[in-house]
Amino acid sequence: MKKPSISLVHLLIAKSIIETLFVSTLVVVSFLDVFPHFHGLGEVTTQAVSGWAVNSRNPAERVEVQLFVDDKFVTRTVANQSRPQVVTGGWATDEWHGFTIPVSAMELGNHEARVYALHNSGRGARKTLQLLGHAVRFEVNADGTLKSLDPPGEPSPSAVREKE
Amino acid sequence: MTDHQDSRSLPVTDKGLALWEVVTVITSCLIGEWAVVPFAAGRGFLTAIPILLAIGFMIFSHWYRGESLRAIGFRVDNFVAAVWILILPTLGAVIVILALGWALSGSAFVLRPFRSHLFLLPLWALVQQYALQGFINRRLQLAIGGGFKVTLLVGLLFGLLHLPNPLLALLTFMGGLIWAGVYQRQPNLLALGISQALASLTLAVAIPPSVINGLRVGFRYFN
Repeated sequence: MKKPSISLVHLLIAKSIIETLFVSTLVVVSFLDVFPHFHGLGEVTTQAVSGWAVNSRNPAERVEVQLFVDDKFVTRTVANQSRPQVVTGGWATDEWHGFTIPVSAMELGNHEARVYALHNSGRGARKTLQLLGHAVRFEVNADGTLKSLDPPGEPSPSAVREKE
Repeated sequence: MTDHQDSRSLPVTDKGLALWEVVTVITSCLIGEWAVVPFAAGRGFLTAIPILLAIGFMIFSHWYRGESLRAIGFRVDNFVAAVWILILPTLGAVIVILALGWALSGSAFVLRPFRSHLFLLPLWALVQQYALQGFINRRLQLAIGGGFKVTLLVGLLFGLLHLPNPLLALLTFMGGLIWAGVYQRQPNLLALGISQALASLTLAVAIPPSVINGLRVGFRYFN
């Protein structure tokens, strides 16, 4: 039988390279799809945890955020409130990326809050949470108001970037 | 194949080459099962890429080695002989699966209705038997000779490809042993495909879905 010009070994090597590239591409594309970078922050006000969130890949998206206090899920909301500094900071072309989550019925004392951006990918098959800014520590006073415990003069990196 | 071009020009023996061929086909299957599903959720069609690569490679390999369809097992002259060998093990497998389904379901045992997609089972079984026996079994015989070693390896590889579904991996390991042994005696893929289709059909209608998890394998098993 006439042998083709390409050898079996060469074909095996080529197949291995194609499969390696295929899997590598899958992994990279999947990573970019699953973990887009979210800009934003969470901060404590007297009655709530507020902030903003922008999906860098899709700045027009209204991002769903979830609040965790002391590592326990509290509630979720959509960041679609006015936050003009998002536009002035150049993070998005519209200001409707803010959120305010009222915090009540918390025990007195110190707590730690984290706000995560929720991202769906794979047509809803995968969900990921990404921390917005950094964890914020706060105290619940006797009158129910909140007080940030982040040292004054040491704003979080996200806050610095927002100012910039 | 001792004066094979690959053996002359590259530092690989014919046995090593045959083993490499087996590894590359198994790798393609594992990529389809374990890499495409988690990394390309919602784009299941990408599974076709490693599968087509494997099928394309196997066809090329047969051509390269001068193997005819008849040699691979697509033939009818030994169909009856192969069926005669397969009747008892296939009947035994069907009875064992039915008993297993009854034991696992208890009083709630019912055969689930025949679904239309099960019409594809014979074709799918034939494709699997072709890859498993017509290619892997033959290459393993080239690499390590015939006999029980090859039979055992074929069974193990068939079971491996059905992980992490424990019951399916166990059953396919045992089925792989039987079908590999029969193929070495009577290489007829049509008879083997019918045997596997009957066993798979019984499995699909008799074993509770909670146990068999919809016959899912690979990463899809966890969905």
